[in-house]
Amino acid sequence: MSVALGGVAQASPAFRLHQERRRVLYLAKIRGLWIALVFFALAVVALARIAWLGAVEPGAQPLSMAQRLLPERGEIVDRNGVPLARAFHARALWYNPQAIGDGGAPLVKSPEAVAKALAAIFPEADEGRLLRKLKSGKPTYLARRILPRQMAKVHALGEPALEYPPEKERFYPQGSLAAHVIGFVDADGEGKVGMEEALQDRLLDPAGRGEPVALSIDARVQGALEDELMAGIEMHEAIGAAGVILDVETGEVLALASLPSFNPNRIDSDGAQNIFNRVTNQVYELGSTFKPLSVAAAIEAGTVKSLARRYPAREPLKVGPHRIRDSHVIGDSLNVPETLIHSSNIVTAQIADELGVERLQKTMVDLGMSVRPEIELPARGHPLFETKKWSRIRNMTVSYGHGIAVTPLHLASAYAAMVNGGIYRPATLMKRAPGEYVEGRRVFSPATSAKMRQMLRMIVVYGTGRKADAEGFRVGGKTGSAEKPGSGGYRRTSLVSTFAAAFPMDRPRYVIIAMFDEPTGNASTYGQRTAGWNAAPAVGRIVPRIGPMLGVDPDATRDIDLSDLKPLVVTEG
Amino acid sequence: MAATAIVPEGLLRWPWKVSLVLLALTGFGAAVLHSAAGGSWEPYAAKHLMRFGVFLVMALVMSRFNDTVYRFMAYPAYVVLVFLLVVVEAIGFTGGGSQRWIDLGFMQLQPSELMKPAIVIVLARFFATLPPGMVGTLRGIAPVAILLGVPCSLVLMQPDLGTTLAIVASGAVIVFMAGAPLKWFLVTGGVALAALPFAYQFALSPYQQRRVTTFLDPASDPLGKGYQITQSKIAIGSGGLTGKGFGEGSQSHLAYLPEAHTDFIFATMAEEWGVMGGVFVLMCYALILRWALRVAGRAPHRFGRLMAVGMGFTIFFYAAVNMLMVMGFAPVVGIPLPFMSHGGSSMMTVMICIGSLMAVDHWGKTQSRRRY
Repeated sequence: MSVALGGVAQASPAFRLHQERRRVLYLAKIRGLWIALVFFALAVVALARIAWLGAVEPGAQPLSMAQRLLPERGEIVDRNGVPLARAFHARALWYNPQAIGDGGAPLVKSPEAVAKALAAIFPEADEGRLLRKLKSGKPTYLARRILPRQMAKVHALGEPALEYPPEKERFYPQGSLAAHVIGFVDADGEGKVGMEEALQDRLLDPAGRGEPVALSIDARVQGALEDELMAGIEMHEAIGAAGVILDVETGEVLALASLPSFNPNRIDSDGAQNIFNRVTNQVYELGSTFKPLSVAAAIEAGTVKSLARRYPAREPLKVGPHRIRDSHVIGDSLNVPETLIHSSNIVTAQIADELGVERLQKTMVDLGMSVRPEIELPARGHPLFETKKWSRIRNMTVSYGHGIAVTPLHLASAYAAMVNGGIYRPATLMKRAPGEYVEGRRVFSPATSAKMRQMLRMIVVYGTGRKADAEGFRVGGKTGSAEKPGSGGYRRTSLVSTFAAAFPMDRPRYVIIAMFDEPTGNASTYGQRTAGWNAAPAVGRIVPRIGPMLGVDPDATRDIDLSDLKPLVVTEG
Repeated sequence: MAATAIVPEGLLRWPWKVSLVLLALTGFGAAVLHSAAGGSWEPYAAKHLMRFGVFLVMALVMSRFNDTVYRFMAYPAYVVLVFLLVVVEAIGFTGGGSQRWIDLGFMQLQPSELMKPAIVIVLARFFATLPPGMVGTLRGIAPVAILLGVPCSLVLMQPDLGTTLAIVASGAVIVFMAGAPLKWFLVTGGVALAALPFAYQFALSPYQQRRVTTFLDPASDPLGKGYQITQSKIAIGSGGLTGKGFGEGSQSHLAYLPEAHTDFIFATMAEEWGVMGGVFVLMCYALILRWALRVAGRAPHRFGRLMAVGMGFTIFFYAAVNMLMVMGFAPVVGIPLPFMSHGGSSMMTVMICIGSLMAVDHWGKTQSRRRY
């Protein structure tokens, strides 16, 4: 080629023609190659795409009829299968001016006639508004929710532009029942607050969403708890209440209530204020309810060898600049059961001091008090817990529930460990399979646990918890009335009244915590605001309602044997 | 040698190999149509094979014509078709949302379909007579612009975007093969790319705009305009490597897949035959196109070469755009899959292309290379 080109200058016309011919042929060959290359490239692309669609991307399987019938979001039921949250097929009324699609008028009849007909079907609708929307020619909702009957009537109008698309809807058939446990689904389909958020992925998983998720909640128990707490709020004019009922062996939460509550079917501004969960997210100084835990730690450690041992109780306890006092002088000296029955800060502090900082702190950590409560809910409050080595005074205040702030759920789990033989287990909102054994960690020995059961029962029989003594249900528990911290110290007028209990004490099955936020005293309580007058009676009302549901029948002939401790307690009778 | 004694020489020159490929592909298409009709020869498969037989005879007849016939017929055929396009615009009746047919009584004639091979022949004819030196000049390209522009604007008015693009593409490939300067293509391509947004805004009707937006994001409207592509991809994907088996495709049988027997037949096929079926179809097209390019290479003159490349490219354009569309790589434009889709007009067009290619093949085997 290059030789030929070299001869161009002296080329004859015939040679030039030959050259031109060669050039054109060469060009045609190159161009032909280009086109072949395009063919080839596209064939490779097509092959790769087929292989991709066929081998890598078979995820888009067509839905079978069974899959089509699956709810878009799995249902939530309680432990007995009562529906708590379910998918609900709703329809909206949608105006689609493009439906006819020939560029002409969007409606067959006149907009006026259609608006009038719609107003007849939807009496609550404003005919003028409907007419404006129909005339605007823009796609829009005419009604957010319509009934099947109304849908049939709209269909009979014969207007293709009136469409009724299915709308996603989550329905909570129990209304506000267990609202904090269930939560709700927001407009974007994201679960919020409760198990709707915690179980988001599982509820949406196509493989599992056909099967409803069973919670540990028992709707009947939940209903009784909420009902009695609400009654207590009204009776004592409290600003709120919290309650939790826990299976002491499995950690299953049978009921969990934070009141006032909200309606997950309709979240408005009033409801939104109440979304905060007092049971798992709010931390409180729970006061005297901690005393049994401290005593149990001392018995466990062996620093309290005899429950008959007496401690001085008349004088306030001086610790450096601080003074620890009781609400009133209970007596010159108190033994251990008397300390709990009459709820003496002075003696509890002495027991804790004797026990020592390390051992009480370790017991509290073992009971889960230093970390967020163990439960599936997303809203879990961090306790106010001094993680460094406690000072002597903190050790003493913690022993009667001050200088430590935890959630009511913390307290429930700790009480469960104290009465179930001494084993701490995390709380759960998921139903456990029958016979499923949950590994826990041992905090107390069975012997300590047995002694604590006796003493908790004695508090109810002889002490501050008398109003919780539901006949035949062998309730045992401890009151706690703590002043709420405000600016510049504790506020004497605002209390958090708690009753932490378990029943039946001869073989504890359930722990129950009832707590009122800022209850007031009135004539029915002789002006008293303390837990013995509001939280304890609430438990006394709840237990007889839920006991039979849970297989705990009232039995006046059975009770925990208190005969060895009874002589230690001076009774009026 | 023994064969020559028995078989006439004319039959030996017949392009046996490509005919077998065509037969295999059309037969496979008939099998898929058989399944798409729910396991019945009616209404698609039998007609499909019958049409193929009729048009194959037509192609064989076409292959016997001399190149002078083609050269002579090029311009008159073009003029008649342009006239028919005007007639369609004027008196044609409406079908499928756009005016495309002329009802001749015994069949519905779609002049825009015939325009695809016609534009190839007429442009090949034009460049064959144009001195090679003038290809790169404005005087050389202006008649091409007119020859292409008139039918394109008429088809675009119908409106039929798919066919317009096919005509433009076939025309462009002939201009390219004729040796027009590369920069023309680069500049035109650049301008077209830059003009795309404006064309989208002003030249496309709303339903075409929706097709484009849907193509870009089928998930945006999975039950509306994205439905076709989504279902098509589901069908191909659910076929897997070996497919669900003949007659077992649920997408087509349960009517999830739209146009299962025409534009989306590839998806119908892929569901039942899987990747293997897809590879088989691609192989067949590759063989047909290789044959077309070889025919072009063997052509005795410039006219034949340009015509062969143009005809081959027309078939390629059908197949490529259809498959890319079905696989979700191109917007949904109503372009059928050659030799497989049910439909008379498109079958006629591709068989005219095949007939013309066979004719060029015949010339290459009988004529010496006197011209280029």
